[in-house]
Amino acid sequence: MSDALYSKPRIVARVAPPLNVRLWRLLGVALALAFLAYLPFVLAHRSAFGFRLTNAELLNLGLSQINLMMIAMLGALSLNYLTGCAGLISIGHAAFYATGAMTAAIVGTQWGWPFPLALAAAAVTGALVGIIAGLPSLRVRGLYFVLSTLAVHHVVIFVFLEYQFRYFDVVGVPYDPPRLGSYALNTSMRWYFFLLPVVALVYWGFKNSLGTREGRAMRAMRDHELAATAAGVDVRVLRLKAFAFSSAIASMAGALQAYFMSNVTSEAFGLDFAIQFIAMIIIGGLGSLGGSLVGAAIWLLAPSIISGLAPQGGDASGWMGTLLVEHKPQLVQAAFGVLIILLLIFAPGGVAGLGRKLKAMLSPQRAR
Amino acid sequence: MLAQVVFSGLALGSIYGLVALGFAVVFKATEVFNFAQGMLAVCGAYFAATAISIFGWPFPLAIAFMAVAAIALGVAIHVLLIQPLAGRSMLAVIMVTIALSIVLRAVIEMIYGPQGRTLVTPLPNGVITLGSLRISELHLTAALVSWACMAIFAAFFRFTSVGLLMRATADSHEAAVVSGVNVNTMNRLAWGIGSLLAAIGGLFLGQLQIVSTDLESIGLLALPAVVIGGLQSIPGAVVGGLLVGLIEQVSASYISPKSTDIVIYTLLLLILLVRPWGLFGQRELGRV
Repeated sequence: MSDALYSKPRIVARVAPPLNVRLWRLLGVALALAFLAYLPFVLAHRSAFGFRLTNAELLNLGLSQINLMMIAMLGALSLNYLTGCAGLISIGHAAFYATGAMTAAIVGTQWGWPFPLALAAAAVTGALVGIIAGLPSLRVRGLYFVLSTLAVHHVVIFVFLEYQFRYFDVVGVPYDPPRLGSYALNTSMRWYFFLLPVVALVYWGFKNSLGTREGRAMRAMRDHELAATAAGVDVRVLRLKAFAFSSAIASMAGALQAYFMSNVTSEAFGLDFAIQFIAMIIIGGLGSLGGSLVGAAIWLLAPSIISGLAPQGGDASGWMGTLLVEHKPQLVQAAFGVLIILLLIFAPGGVAGLGRKLKAMLSPQRAR
Repeated sequence: MLAQVVFSGLALGSIYGLVALGFAVVFKATEVFNFAQGMLAVCGAYFAATAISIFGWPFPLAIAFMAVAAIALGVAIHVLLIQPLAGRSMLAVIMVTIALSIVLRAVIEMIYGPQGRTLVTPLPNGVITLGSLRISELHLTAALVSWACMAIFAAFFRFTSVGLLMRATADSHEAAVVSGVNVNTMNRLAWGIGSLLAAIGGLFLGQLQIVSTDLESIGLLALPAVVIGGLQSIPGAVVGGLLVGLIEQVSASYISPKSTDIVIYTLLLLILLVRPWGLFGQRELGRV
């Protein structure tokens, strides 16, 4: 399938770059780390280097939004791994989140296991459910497979609903305050410093797995299934593995989200929830892991940035003002929908594709 | 009791069948799996509601307005969204229909507000009692109109030259182009018909319940209906719709109201595993 939607593999000989390039790169990484370490303090104290910042200057962002964004990044990464890299389109990602949340409820809330064990249990259950959900991929392709993930979504959400109403009630499933040993995750700041390494670790894991033999076989399978089979790739096993890996991470993210929210109902994991991940990876760029991070950031942060602009718009008289004040959620939804449509039509590579284009324009060596 | 359930199942199923038929026409012509079909039904209901309660037009004029608006909407979708994506991957096309339904829902809620409206039409609203069977006249009208529409479109595809051209285009784009058929016009027509059928379904759904964007989930039951019937098969869509309506009513009254989704989607999963081409579809043979 030669489609500009997917990032094309670049064949570049691996030569160590010159020393000055390596130094610049090191400096960049150090700056990024410093930024990430300082960011929560800026957002928590609403000031940077002693200067007070207004809400508008901070783009109306808070630390818990950043935390939610990082949890969503896990989902977007795992979906992009499955859809963008393995070529399996799934609209059942909310089901894996729900699986994780339910496992955490059974293991953590009902049996009283500690938080890290609950996360591990969620990942294991997620992998199992992922394998089951991936079974139709042995028999059906393309569109039919998409529909089977839709069916799996409805089945899992129904099970969650039944579970919720049997052991808890309409209010939702409660979760104990999580703690890692003596480090209680009771503030946004602590969550931030817990989630940051988790996201980095997951990103690094996916990235490395793509570089292995199986990772390359997986992308070969996405691009041309028959050619991959002819080259000796067992696509059936590979599909199930990709599904298990991806859904384990999604399920862990679901457990994290459940603990973060401390209360979850089945409505939280509707079809919209699954669709938002597809939107994230399309915005970010299919097949680009870095793009999924950007896509998740845009999806989670843009609404509050738009809301932050609303007070200024509210002064404007006329229909624009009323639109911004009265129909903010709908306006955000419409803006996102239009953004996705425009990206699909004009920039199929998403943000990552635009980045590649920009790089090609700026670098003199690769100019054609 | 059972007869009652079966009757309302078949009546609702006829509406689903109608929406599913529109879906199948679009899929056969352009191979677009239209996740916005439910939203197109909602749009139809809102077109009718606008003409009747806001413009205050008489019922026949309102219906004509709804039909024209729905066809225009379908054609616009094909020209603006589907044509630019020609030849692109399935995910791009699926996602564009999902994004479309997000935008349509947001726009409807911005214009009309999130709360539903009632649709007042001169359609019969009483109840006929036949022995122990209570037949709602509205259900009956919905079923009859749905069947009439299906018959009209079956005749259209079977007996008119445009219908023949559309079937030829759906069978093979290239052969149709070579024979001098304007494929784009045929595809636009297919989208117009698909949207119109959804709108008629939406009119009845809005009448049976209340006109709101939540009707989308009911309209989306056309998806399992089409797949159970067979994606490539037009009669399959109708039978699938009837089946889904029947299953919905039976499981709602004999198992539990919450169980309808899972019963329908479990059946869908089974069909996908055992007979992916559906009950009436043709087995697709891949060529290497």
